Amino acid sequence: MTFRQPGWLLVLPATLAVAMFLGIPVFDTFSTTFTDSTGFLSNYEKFFASRFRRAVLWRTTEIALITMIASLLIGFATAYVVSRAPKKLKSLLIIIAVFPLLTGVVVRSFAWLVILGKNGILNQILLSVGVIAEPLSMLYTEGAVIVAMVYLFVPLMILTIVGVLEGIPEDLLQASASLGATPFATFWQVVFPLAMPGLIVGAVLVFTGSFTSYATPQLLGGEQQMMMGTFLRQRAMVTFDWTGASTIAAIMTVVTIIIVLAMGRVARRLNPAAV
Amino acid sequence: MLTRPHPVLIGFACLVFFFLLAPLVIIIGASVSDTSFLTFPPQGLTLHWYENIFEVSAFKRTMVTSFILAVTGTSLSLIVGIPAAYALNRYRVQLPSFLSTVFVLPILVPEIVLGFSLMKTVTTAMGFPIFVSLVIGHALLVLPYCVRVVSAALSSFDFSIEEAAVSLGCPRWKAFFIIVLPNVRAGVIAAFILALITSINDVSISLFLTGPGISTLPIQLLAHMEQFFDPTIASVSVLLMLVTVGVMAVVELTLGLTFLTK
Amino acid sequence: MKALLTSSVLFFALSAGVAQAKDTFTISWWGYNGEKLNANIIEPFKAMCDCDIEFETGNNADRLNKLVVRKGEGIDVIFLTDSYSQIGVEKNIFQKVDRAKVPNIEKLYDLAQAPQGEYGPAYSIGRVSIVYDADKVAPITSWNDLWREDLANSVTLPGITTTAGPMMVLRGAAHAGVDAYTDTDGAFAAIEEMKPNIVKNYNTGSEMVNLISTGEASVAVAQDFTFASLTAAVPSMVNATLTDGDIATLNTINIPTGAKHVDLAHKFINFVLSTEVQTIEAKQGVDAPVNKDVVLTPEEAAIWTYGPEAISSLNRVDYGKLNAAKVDWIDRWNEIFGS
Repeated sequence: MTFRQPGWLLVLPATLAVAMFLGIPVFDTFSTTFTDSTGFLSNYEKFFASRFRRAVLWRTTEIALITMIASLLIGFATAYVVSRAPKKLKSLLIIIAVFPLLTGVVVRSFAWLVILGKNGILNQILLSVGVIAEPLSMLYTEGAVIVAMVYLFVPLMILTIVGVLEGIPEDLLQASASLGATPFATFWQVVFPLAMPGLIVGAVLVFTGSFTSYATPQLLGGEQQMMMGTFLRQRAMVTFDWTGASTIAAIMTVVTIIIVLAMGRVARRLNPAAV
Repeated sequence: MLTRPHPVLIGFACLVFFFLLAPLVIIIGASVSDTSFLTFPPQGLTLHWYENIFEVSAFKRTMVTSFILAVTGTSLSLIVGIPAAYALNRYRVQLPSFLSTVFVLPILVPEIVLGFSLMKTVTTAMGFPIFVSLVIGHALLVLPYCVRVVSAALSSFDFSIEEAAVSLGCPRWKAFFIIVLPNVRAGVIAAFILALITSINDVSISLFLTGPGISTLPIQLLAHMEQFFDPTIASVSVLLMLVTVGVMAVVELTLGLTFLTK
Repeated sequence: MKALLTSSVLFFALSAGVAQAKDTFTISWWGYNGEKLNANIIEPFKAMCDCDIEFETGNNADRLNKLVVRKGEGIDVIFLTDSYSQIGVEKNIFQKVDRAKVPNIEKLYDLAQAPQGEYGPAYSIGRVSIVYDADKVAPITSWNDLWREDLANSVTLPGITTTAGPMMVLRGAAHAGVDAYTDTDGAFAAIEEMKPNIVKNYNTGSEMVNLISTGEASVAVAQDFTFASLTAAVPSMVNATLTDGDIATLNTINIPTGAKHVDLAHKFINFVLSTEVQTIEAKQGVDAPVNKDVVLTPEEAAIWTYGPEAISSLNRVDYGKLNAAKVDWIDRWNEIFGS
């Protein structure tokens, strides 16, 4: 029994769901940014004209990119080690890696407040060892936000990459070794390209997650480190300026799409099978 | 024959695990501190904050709601997401390439705007009841995980095995369940876990879709936090951690710890 | 898989609406002190009205936003801080409260009776003042002391998005000797002057308590309801006695235009304003009373804004003007603190 156009039939439910419950509502909201304004693009002009708003956009992009790269490096290295571990240990390690994810964004950001504060653990350690004389003011800086975000997203990255590494057949690696390839060559020419889809998925999830993040910048960055997520919330919830908020959201969405597409392009060059 | 990774890599991985676990230890420590604010090391020990969880009825009620919501939303998402992931890989040639981006859209749109738009359209204009709107919102929220993560796992699957089975007379749908799915088990489970966690922890979408009588745990936690920055949040987290350990234990007893690996 | 499907179907069925025998009265409020409020207000009212009660909880902004999107429907009574209820009034989602049906309004202090015209009365009063750690900081006696040099890097102000945030702009203007609405530049110049003293601005009461209790800050501009947690964390915290007076905040209770049970709503408001309820709420540390007939012992009154002298010494905010200026102020504040 063969279906007609089986591919389409299979994607149809999901596509319809997205169209109806995301496409229409969001289109409706975004369209107000063009209609509820003095000129067609006036809301966007107003955004880019403001020095403050441009700074927020730039800061958010910068933090998201750094978080993504750091998580990729740390996550991949760790996932690689985990996937090479003996079976029982492997499952245990995966569980440990996933554990932080289960405690919730707010609480994990909290823990960093405790660690990085003036009376926090890090300062206590540094002071007692004698590295510094006065407590460092580490909170409410870009660094604090980045560290907390990397902490949030590394488990996600590990889990995604492990999922992909597990799918690489053992025989491929053995064949490569038996043909004389060094472990490094096997890694670079066999494992890395095959892991690319997982890396891209992970990178996309981490970038978009950190770009649109709200709770972490709010707790650890405060007003001094305003990011698009916190700024959007301020517009929407405090000034009730949904048009302004939607403008911010539209810009965020466009930037994310651009970066995602760019990443897809890079991935396709390294492995044609990457989605 | 598993090639052992370089010792430096192993050392690095150990550091990473320490980095991942240390803050959790801090949360546990802070949850038993006899202070009205979060601090570590704990000053004085008390289980008062654990008692407090059960005294706040909002937490109990919403824990159940959040859990049911997460399971329902994730299942729904997987039901439409897995076929889509399969199609994206198997019929890559026939389907337009932008389709894969479509399923990532829920992450690209900032949650708060998604929640607000959903509320305006789905709850208010289309008139769906509150719980249904919540399920829809959550299913949508986790769809990217269900599609993309499964799709990534499927990308390294050799479809010729499936073709072989079909040519030997196995119906296509049966081949999917007994040949394809088991081989991407890790991916599906990873997607399920990620989706469940995302749904349970979600605030921004739930914020708008909840209404009189229905709320979720993270929202109640945040609300509690807005007034009391006290260790109750830490103790709730420890409780959730224990629940997870419990779930993992059950999984081990039934499927064996090797369920995540081949 | 099957079990999941069956249970989800069951859930849809259940949530699709089970027929209810009694009316359901819907209240929108913050959700704090749930148990006390339940005992003091909800259970007695349920008996009085023979109805079921449902809640929508959350902070001011979230609840008001949702009410606006729903165009005033779905809620019978809503509790908000006055700055937010003013927004609600301006967006035309509240209906006028019929004073004839709420006789207890007569018993309230003047400023609580009609803070926003014919709309909802205030049921509780609070104040914004300066708190400081007496062990670390020399005594503070005026708002102007916030600009003192010895307070470098030790002050936390409420963020512009909080209830008390915009009040800082007003105090900045007072410090510079200008009117915040006509000479906004002058007001913000004063705020900029204060910047070296500021550690971080907080967005929730608990965040501020955390900043103080961990020692990140030793001076804060705070609302009185946080005072109990502050002294529990840092016993040497002191509430400054300000010669130029504290600033009043009122919590109001309003009836949305789409309320289904308008008469019940009036009854409810009357009940909340009654001497019995106001007294017990005050004694249990939930809300400060605005009912003149409430009598508290000095210990009980210590944490509240209580008594005619205290109330009359408060500075009032004109929220009509403030809300109009707020958007501009938020942008300017962001420029100072955010770039």
